[in-house]
Amino acid sequence: MNTFTLGLIAVFILILAVCVLWDIRKSGEFKFKWSHSLAGYLFMAPALVLIVLFVIQPIVLSLWYGFTDYYLLEPNNIHYIGLNNFSSLTKDLSGQGDFYHALKNTLYFMLFCVPLQIAVALGLALLVNKPRKGGGFFKVAFFSPVVMSLAVTSFLWLYMLRPDEKGLINGLLVKMGIPVQGFFTDPDQAMNLIILLSAWQGAGMQMIIFLAGLKNISRDLYEAAQLDGANRWKSFLNITMPGLKPITLFILITTFIAASRLMIQPMILTGYKEFTVTLSYLIYNEGYVFKMVGYASAIALLVTVLIGSMTLVQRYVLREVD
Amino acid sequence: MKGMTVNNKGFRLLFIYLFMSVLAVLFLFPTVWMLAASTKPDVLIYSETGKLSSFIPNITDGSVFLRNYAILLTDYKIWRFMLNSSFYSAFIVVGNIIVSSMAGYALAKFHFPGKTFLLGLIVFLIVVPIETTIIPLYTIVHRLGLTGTIFAVLIPPLVSVFNIFLFRQSFVSVPRELEEAAIMDGASKLQVYYHIILATSKPIIATIATLNFIGVWNDYIWPIMVLPAPSGNGDWPLYPIQAALNTLAQQPMIETGQIMAALTLATIPLIVVYALAQKYIVEGFSTAGIK
Repeated sequence: MNTFTLGLIAVFILILAVCVLWDIRKSGEFKFKWSHSLAGYLFMAPALVLIVLFVIQPIVLSLWYGFTDYYLLEPNNIHYIGLNNFSSLTKDLSGQGDFYHALKNTLYFMLFCVPLQIAVALGLALLVNKPRKGGGFFKVAFFSPVVMSLAVTSFLWLYMLRPDEKGLINGLLVKMGIPVQGFFTDPDQAMNLIILLSAWQGAGMQMIIFLAGLKNISRDLYEAAQLDGANRWKSFLNITMPGLKPITLFILITTFIAASRLMIQPMILTGYKEFTVTLSYLIYNEGYVFKMVGYASAIALLVTVLIGSMTLVQRYVLREVD
Repeated sequence: MKGMTVNNKGFRLLFIYLFMSVLAVLFLFPTVWMLAASTKPDVLIYSETGKLSSFIPNITDGSVFLRNYAILLTDYKIWRFMLNSSFYSAFIVVGNIIVSSMAGYALAKFHFPGKTFLLGLIVFLIVVPIETTIIPLYTIVHRLGLTGTIFAVLIPPLVSVFNIFLFRQSFVSVPRELEEAAIMDGASKLQVYYHIILATSKPIIATIATLNFIGVWNDYIWPIMVLPAPSGNGDWPLYPIQAALNTLAQQPMIETGQIMAALTLATIPLIVVYALAQKYIVEGFSTAGIK
């Protein structure tokens, strides 16, 4: 293991020691007994074993693997190669290789899909929020794509958007006098279509969360505003929008993280292609298909830092607003 | 004047309904087409391309209405994949609930050295994106000799730091008096956990179980990574239904209608769960959002 990983483990142990001392010091106040503690440990034990094995170990290992040339089929032949993986990634970035495309496509997807999906969800929530005849039907209709898994959604659209005149959508287009489209085989269309179908699939879920947020805004506020002569638009701007702020930020963070993980849709709809490869898909391809565990771990480390820091910034903003 | 406003209101309402209907069509038409196509042979599907009838189930030839489903069940034995998925989901959800709720209980109601650290660690681990550790996780499972066996699918998801955290937050608010009364009556810690903590926390258990089930049922990539693809030589395959969709789509003789029938079958259990547990799903997502 390299010094960097060892250092991190040392920091980890130090934090553990400090926390344990803190607990022991504090425990005087609870008249703490060892039998009581032991019971606590026993309840914690199954989860702890699994967490160490399958959650912490992968994180620690990726910190180590990222600096090695680990090839999956040669687990006894791992060499520390310093920052070589990272320098090849920088080279890839400047030479517009796969990492460049994966990064670009992932950011593009996040930049367009997240606002689109949230805007659609908010619009739908506002539409169905008011009790109307048949409102239940519309709510179910807008929510219905959520019930399908990403794999099912992707296969469904793959068949509907066949790139020949046999496809459902192309058949309709031909009837309207529009030439047959390439859809997922067309580098200019594929990513935009993935954005559209992802927003279509996911918006219903955020609509439900927005509806819960709308329910929490007091009716009295709207009535008071109406008495003051505010119109619908003004009440929306001054009551609905501020009332939905915390929930919007929560939705923003969760949608943002989900978007950064995009993988199943390009996998099923286009396969491994320059114009739709994403960071998660690249990690999968390098680490699992090509078995270059070291290189894949280096990418994973960069992605973790990138997404993790973006999330932390958003959390910070969220706390400020709250 | 009064008549004017009523007319305006009526017009406005008509417009809103029209707008919502257009949206409803946009959200529903792929699913409607999937259901309709699943009842048709490919000859019919392709002869109807570009016509409205492609959205209507097979009314021209009722005798083949369920033919695609029958072929999936007999020729492709899709029920095996459905059974696999059911078993994996049931095992993981039950196991995860037990493991996570026990840990949540320990963190909510016990004082032991290292607790502060564990709580902090769990909150930190929630933030780490799982997808980025999927390759090291694969090497671990590979080295344990679990790849190619169902244990690779069954064991790692038995723990979820997020569920532990949710359970902990919920258990903290179980009144101490309830526990103490039970202990006075001679109950052990295990009995307190089962009869007091779990018994008073049914809604959160239902919420976590439902969300967990949906996640496991829909999992696609991990099973494909660690399980062998169905061989087609008659052995019982290990793939769950989602992963099997990929195999089915690659079969040379399979028809579009049969794929649509498979997609429908893969979705039916989810429709049931969403319909039965909608209260818990909405609660789970909205409370997570408000807190």
